[in-house]
Amino acid sequence: MAPPIIELREISKSFPGVQALDRVSFEVREGEVHALLGENGAGKSTLIKILTGAHQPDSGTILLRGQPITIPDTRHGLKLGIAAIYQELSLYPDLSVAENIFMGHQPSNRFGVVSWRQMQQRARAILHELDADDLDVSRPVRGLSVGNQQRVEIAKALSHDARILIMDEPTAALTQHDVDRLFEIVRRLRARGVAIIYITHRLEEVFLLADRVTVLRDGRVVGETMHVSQTNQAELVRMMVGRTLDTFFPKDAAEPGEVVLEARNLSYGRTTRNVSFVLRRGEIVGLAGLVGAGRSELAQVLFGITPAESGEIRVEGKPVRIRNPREAMALGIAYVPEDRKLQGLLLRMNVRENTTLAVLRQLLRYGFVDDAAEMRLTQEYVDRLQIRTPSQMQQVANLSGGNQQKVVLAKWLAAKPKVLILDEPTRGIDVGAKAEIHRLMNTLAQQGMAILMISSELPEVLGMSDRVLVMRQGTIVAEFDRAHATQEAVIAAAMGADALHTTPAASTTLT
Amino acid sequence: MTTETRAATSAQPSRLLSALRTQEGVLFLVLVVIVIVLSLLSDRFLTVNNLLNQTRLFTETALLALPMTLIIISGGIDLSVGSMLAWSAVMLGFSWQLLGLPLPLAVVVCLLTGAIGGAINGALIAYVRVPPLIATLATLAIYRGFSFGISQARSARGFPEEFAFWGQGQVGPFPTQFLILVVLIVAMHLLLARTGFGRWVYAIGNNELAARYSGIPVERVKFTLYTLSGLMAGLAAFIFTSRVTTTRADAATGLELDVIAAVVLGGTSIFGGSGSIIGTMLGLVIITLLRNGLLLTGVKGDATFMVIGLVLIAAVLINNLVRRR
Repeated sequence: MAPPIIELREISKSFPGVQALDRVSFEVREGEVHALLGENGAGKSTLIKILTGAHQPDSGTILLRGQPITIPDTRHGLKLGIAAIYQELSLYPDLSVAENIFMGHQPSNRFGVVSWRQMQQRARAILHELDADDLDVSRPVRGLSVGNQQRVEIAKALSHDARILIMDEPTAALTQHDVDRLFEIVRRLRARGVAIIYITHRLEEVFLLADRVTVLRDGRVVGETMHVSQTNQAELVRMMVGRTLDTFFPKDAAEPGEVVLEARNLSYGRTTRNVSFVLRRGEIVGLAGLVGAGRSELAQVLFGITPAESGEIRVEGKPVRIRNPREAMALGIAYVPEDRKLQGLLLRMNVRENTTLAVLRQLLRYGFVDDAAEMRLTQEYVDRLQIRTPSQMQQVANLSGGNQQKVVLAKWLAAKPKVLILDEPTRGIDVGAKAEIHRLMNTLAQQGMAILMISSELPEVLGMSDRVLVMRQGTIVAEFDRAHATQEAVIAAAMGADALHTTPAASTTLT
Repeated sequence: MTTETRAATSAQPSRLLSALRTQEGVLFLVLVVIVIVLSLLSDRFLTVNNLLNQTRLFTETALLALPMTLIIISGGIDLSVGSMLAWSAVMLGFSWQLLGLPLPLAVVVCLLTGAIGGAINGALIAYVRVPPLIATLATLAIYRGFSFGISQARSARGFPEEFAFWGQGQVGPFPTQFLILVVLIVAMHLLLARTGFGRWVYAIGNNELAARYSGIPVERVKFTLYTLSGLMAGLAAFIFTSRVTTTRADAATGLELDVIAAVVLGGTSIFGGSGSIIGTMLGLVIITLLRNGLLLTGVKGDATFMVIGLVLIAAVLINNLVRRR
């Protein structure tokens, strides 16, 4: 057996509030495809960043061919032959294929003038190795298919003579044909002795492509690295999720009332496809799925940001049209978006102006803002949500993440919605604020609000939800009631591991 | 000394200090300095007559600067205001002299022309989503073209004497247009600072996406702002025509730069999100007095431009310095 080309020993890395990696040991050999699995937030990205030099480990050692090394930055990483291809491609659309491949290390003569002929020749040679002769190296990258762009990325990595290639969910955006070609390329590279770290959410790919597999969970390696022949999909899912539910998700049992919101065959572009579900008074429905499964996109359809192209929405039984956020608000729908800084807050304006923004119309007298009423309303929500701010006049940019999130919540609760859509309501906020928001959701549901919660944290989904909907590739693929929603079942549905014996989907029939 | 008394004694000056730390406070100080310096240099500068006379000259710029403040706060810009003024003025003369409309009706045509020009800007920007800089750069040229095309390079003259009241007349000691301006300053200040509409303008300039997500009718607000800008250009055209008693197609060429300079000097962020009418007016007064005062002290015109440019930069620097504390 070949010795490891690169080896991580007891690597730890923490960020404020999070232990991203905890004594992780991991190795890859020449001519091997090593699959790396784990949920969102398990530590895969941090591991990659440490390997490429984007992050420095807090402790532990990295050995390259048995020699301890440090990788101060990604440029250095590339020199050592470590390259990564990310899910989001990082090409310059208006530059040619050849220029992209040699970005940053263009072949040049001794006067520093770029040698275009040499660059194109070498680009062609590299693409030939990838069996991608059909790519014209002089055409701009813009307009290439995703599959071809990815080949350019791989060629770029090879132009650095990469011996260790990290591929982060390379098939996420590919068509089946492109996936087949990619596998072919990966196998070729392996045959040439390149060590490949292959990250994916698609379990079947592990068995098609990888030699060995390592599972990460909460920043630790689960069990040990295994040969793929020693394991199966069900075991891998168990390893990825086998976590105990935190106790601070205090969802009380609720008696769901009548249907408030109903979606029938909603579609928008390629991101929302034939989605149907119902939402009842007083229930919290969790919307689970992998990043890119179309959950936020569905929320934006429901809130009229990207109005549905087909299908029907009913509010309290009546068919309605939602063409913009105003119409959604008028129907009693509120949406707390995923990115509070980008989509939720007026950062340079104060707590009061942010809190009352969505209901300002109700605070007007002859068009003028009624200051006293605005102050009272703001104070009501500052008290109720325990927003910790020195005053209502504080710029929200100066508040902590948790308090900023509460301001966004306050803005929407002030609108007194019947349906509250929460998109990652506790992302990036501290544990205390998180618990407070969970408690609040509970109270709101008790008072009869219908809540649709999008969350990438599985324990949060399972702990808070009366029902769980699972999305995959733009559509709802499974529905579980609270009793049947297990981590294994939800994650298997989210990843499309149909071969698993999970609880059958759709325990509730849609009417 | 106990901490309590220290707190009590420091309360007064600190309130004064924090008032001066605002952009408006800094501008006010700059204005005071300029007035003192200029009045030392020329004894004709600090006279009631001279100052009131200045208001005649700056009213047109001020009328355009009012909506420009709102537009820049919303994250946009309107470069076409000078051209809209000229087009409106030409339409006034054209409809009165060539079409033979009664003068009051011609004034209505003048105002409508401005409003239509503004509405076209607004529609392009809000609904067709052309970036404001490009949309109004295009209409700057187009409206100027209208002015020349319609007037055929002829100027309308010979307006009746009573028409001069708006641009040359007085009410008590005050120039007529100054009183109109004061009313509009108050109205625009209230609109921006006190109404829901004003709040939306700030919200859009601050974070258009979040504003949209909060149900604010972003398109309608933008459309209204640019239309308002056109309407004010129409009003400025009317007062301008009354003041100079002629309508020319090349009127107000380059005026947009004075307007934008005043707004930015007044502390409105060119990136949107913050600013005030009071600041804009202070900025405008500073520019106007500088120009007038330097003229009176015998400084040549070219040097005046340089001084104004330097003051613009100095004011922004001082403001940055003060705010960083």
